[in-house]
Amino acid sequence: MAEDGTVVDVLRASTPGRSDAPEVVERALVEGVTTLRQEHDVTAIGVGAAGFVGLDGRVRFAPHVSWRDEPFAAKLTDRLGISVVVDNDANVTALAELRYGAAAGRREVLVLTLGTGIGGAVVMGGAVRRGAQGLAGEFGHLQVVPQGRLCPCGHRGCWEQYASGTALVRAAREAGAPEDVTGPEVTAAAGTGTSWAEAAFAEVGRWLGVGLAGLVAGLDPELVVIGGGLSAAGDLLLDPTRAALADRLPGRRYRTVPPVVVAACGPEAGMIGAATLARESMGQVGGTVGGSSA
Amino acid sequence: MGLTVGVDVGGTKIAAGVVDEKGQIVATSRRESPAMDSEAVEATIAELVRELKKEHAIEAVGVGAAGFVDVRRSTVLFAPNIAWRDEPLKAELERLTDLPVVVENDANAAAWGEFAFGGGKDFDDFLLVTVGTGVGGGIVLDGQLHRGAFGVAAEIGHLRVVPQGRPCGCGNLGCWEQYASGSALVRDARERVAAGSDDVANLLRRAGGRAEDLTGPIITEAAQDGDAVAVELLSEVGRWLGEGIASLTAVLDPAVVVIGGGVSEAGDLLLEPIRQHFRANLTARAYRPELEIRPAELGNKAGLIGAADLARQD
Ligand SMILES: [Zn+2]
Ligand SMILES: [Zn+2]
Repeated sequence: MAEDGTVVDVLRASTPGRSDAPEVVERALVEGVTTLRQEHDVTAIGVGAAGFVGLDGRVRFAPHVSWRDEPFAAKLTDRLGISVVVDNDANVTALAELRYGAAAGRREVLVLTLGTGIGGAVVMGGAVRRGAQGLAGEFGHLQVVPQGRLCPCGHRGCWEQYASGTALVRAAREAGAPEDVTGPEVTAAAGTGTSWAEAAFAEVGRWLGVGLAGLVAGLDPELVVIGGGLSAAGDLLLDPTRAALADRLPGRRYRTVPPVVVAACGPEAGMIGAATLARESMGQVGGTVGGSSA
Repeated sequence: MGLTVGVDVGGTKIAAGVVDEKGQIVATSRRESPAMDSEAVEATIAELVRELKKEHAIEAVGVGAAGFVDVRRSTVLFAPNIAWRDEPLKAELERLTDLPVVVENDANAAAWGEFAFGGGKDFDDFLLVTVGTGVGGGIVLDGQLHRGAFGVAAEIGHLRVVPQGRPCGCGNLGCWEQYASGSALVRDARERVAAGSDDVANLLRRAGGRAEDLTGPIITEAAQDGDAVAVELLSEVGRWLGEGIASLTAVLDPAVVVIGGGVSEAGDLLLEPIRQHFRANLTARAYRPELEIRPAELGNKAGLIGAADLARQD
């Protein structure tokens, strides 16, 4: 990525499986970066990874690859001889939206990425806040229904059981979709006015708003940005979200209900955000990214 | 900056104190609050400040008030207990006292006090949960008080924990403070009496035999004396608190959670159930360092001390 946020070159590879050793992912990344460096003068590298990423760049836990407390940033920096920073994928998506997207110029923002689950990031005072251990913004397992649906995390009633791609497929099936329907098919069917697809978006959108009401009450953002695969549905998803949020927000008569908008950086948001993080982290270690104090 | 004044504007009393840069209160003064007369409240605050100014070299004033305060910390948009609506409090008080004034929501002021000088002083990322009549709180991340975009951040008492649950004064159903506050504690105790349960005899005796005279302090005292029902009532409130704090921790990832407010005076009778249910409900606990949940240290002075320090920071 160039300094102005333009993506100059892209290289893609499939993610190695969960059963592969951490070194396999690492090797694939090193190879990709090496190829890109043959063509471009790269000064820093940023990585966005699904999972828990500590402030020291260690990946404590990743759901899709076999990292467990992996000192990823340090290892890559070592192998590539160039500064490598690592952050959670939702955090880097938020950074992209903050610098170049729907949240440009804003200071208090909630960013959610809806895919299989819910990813989240908290922007306060114009910076992505990572918390004490780098684990802030874990919204997916907030409980929205006591004794609700069982979640793989071991708890019941987690938000992502009601407001995610997985929940969308479930809601579509319950509304009469074929048993083997996929998320993208539900989105496509909703576009052509299929009733089970519309019902599924109404249901998932409503739960999205219900959970947001709590977050907005606690954090008081000026804007909510929704990204990830599901956000491609736009108002079909977000109109019921806005209605549920406006209906449930405590003290709504005395406050402004923040707008809920679709992310603007698209599927490349993570890449752009990670590169931005790398650029902004040059010469500083750890802590807040893109910090600007009040 | 040397000395500043912190003012805590309550529903019944207005307290002002001179505070040094270490958070120590050097002098205090208080008056009854003429709550329903907004101009009289301002005159009373100014009078307290002028009185303290005679004896001390005051450089600025911080005011903590219940209600919504705008982001520029100058206007009270709405106060539940005082007749302020879009009140330009900063400008009025600066005119009356000839000192720079900062206005802050009282929960934020208390959070800042505990963060700077109390239970959070060794940390950068901090959450205060105040358990009194309701549930309030404050958030500090990266050493900065989080005020939110509209100055109403950390209204955590109205997070919904039970869909279609108990009605709340805010108009919603199932708010956290309907389960995890001093009011919930007393309500549960009264309901237990009304249900005719005979294990409440001891508790009832402490309230002079009248369920309507049961209070939070009475229940706490009974629990400290080993009354099983009182212990159970407190641990139920602790359970709701622990579950809610687990959610807030997933969102904010604080390094420490400090529990303040009147009900926190029950000490470990409240804190232990909080810790236990926090651990049971925290998502991905195996991948996180254990987080400390500790009692507040400044008691009901946190707001005054915090407001004074915020005036110094400005
Ligand atoms: Zn879960
Ligand atoms: Zn409420």
